[in-house]
Amino acid sequence: MIKTTIENDSHLLKEASKDLIKALKEKGVRESTIFDIHVGFEEALRNAMIHGNKQDPSKKVTVETEIMDNEVRIQVEDEGDGFDPKDLPDPTQDENLLKESGRGVYLIRHLMDEVRYENDGRRVIMKKSLT
Amino acid sequence: MAISAEEKNGVFIYKVDGNIDISNSPDVKKYFDNAITDKHKEVIINLESADYVDSSGLATLVEILKNVRAHQGKLKLVGLSDKVKGLFEITKLDKLFNISTE
Repeated sequence: MIKTTIENDSHLLKEASKDLIKALKEKGVRESTIFDIHVGFEEALRNAMIHGNKQDPSKKVTVETEIMDNEVRIQVEDEGDGFDPKDLPDPTQDENLLKESGRGVYLIRHLMDEVRYENDGRRVIMKKSLT
Repeated sequence: MAISAEEKNGVFIYKVDGNIDISNSPDVKKYFDNAITDKHKEVIINLESADYVDSSGLATLVEILKNVRAHQGKLKLVGLSDKVKGLFEITKLDKLFNISTE
């Protein structure tokens, strides 16, 4: 398991996902699975930095990644006020389709196999099968 | 990230060279905010170089669509990879956009 703490700067987001994507490629994971994990991970980081920590540079995001034989587990935690994912509007409803935001959590839920929120929404734990 | 533009018989074709994600989506939006005018009745954006699009990229494309529509134009997205097209299907944005993998 690799644990890292990232400064709350969305410019660091790509850098943060690079190592995980590289490790999955080296493991020979299917490209479509890597794509789903890539989007899911970066959406979680983006939510943590922008919505969770509200772009506050004094706050940090803690990330844990663990690549197992058949599964990857990713945990992203921010230092914000938390949120209830059930309160988010469904971005696929006709009245929300033209809205600019609101798709990140929805994408995570659809691209990852298991998604769980803890610590009042500050921590998201995601799993994806690699088989 | 670069965007090339050409006009053929009144159709404005833009090719985005690279991904559209959090690292460049404000720049992409700004480019099209400046580019789209009342002359742009038919707009095509070629995304064949985009291996990766995230929710900020999708949001930017929604904003471009709204911009084109505000000028009474039509927008078509072409060259989408199956993976990127999949994101449009998951988020139901395929109902809003005219999209093609060709």
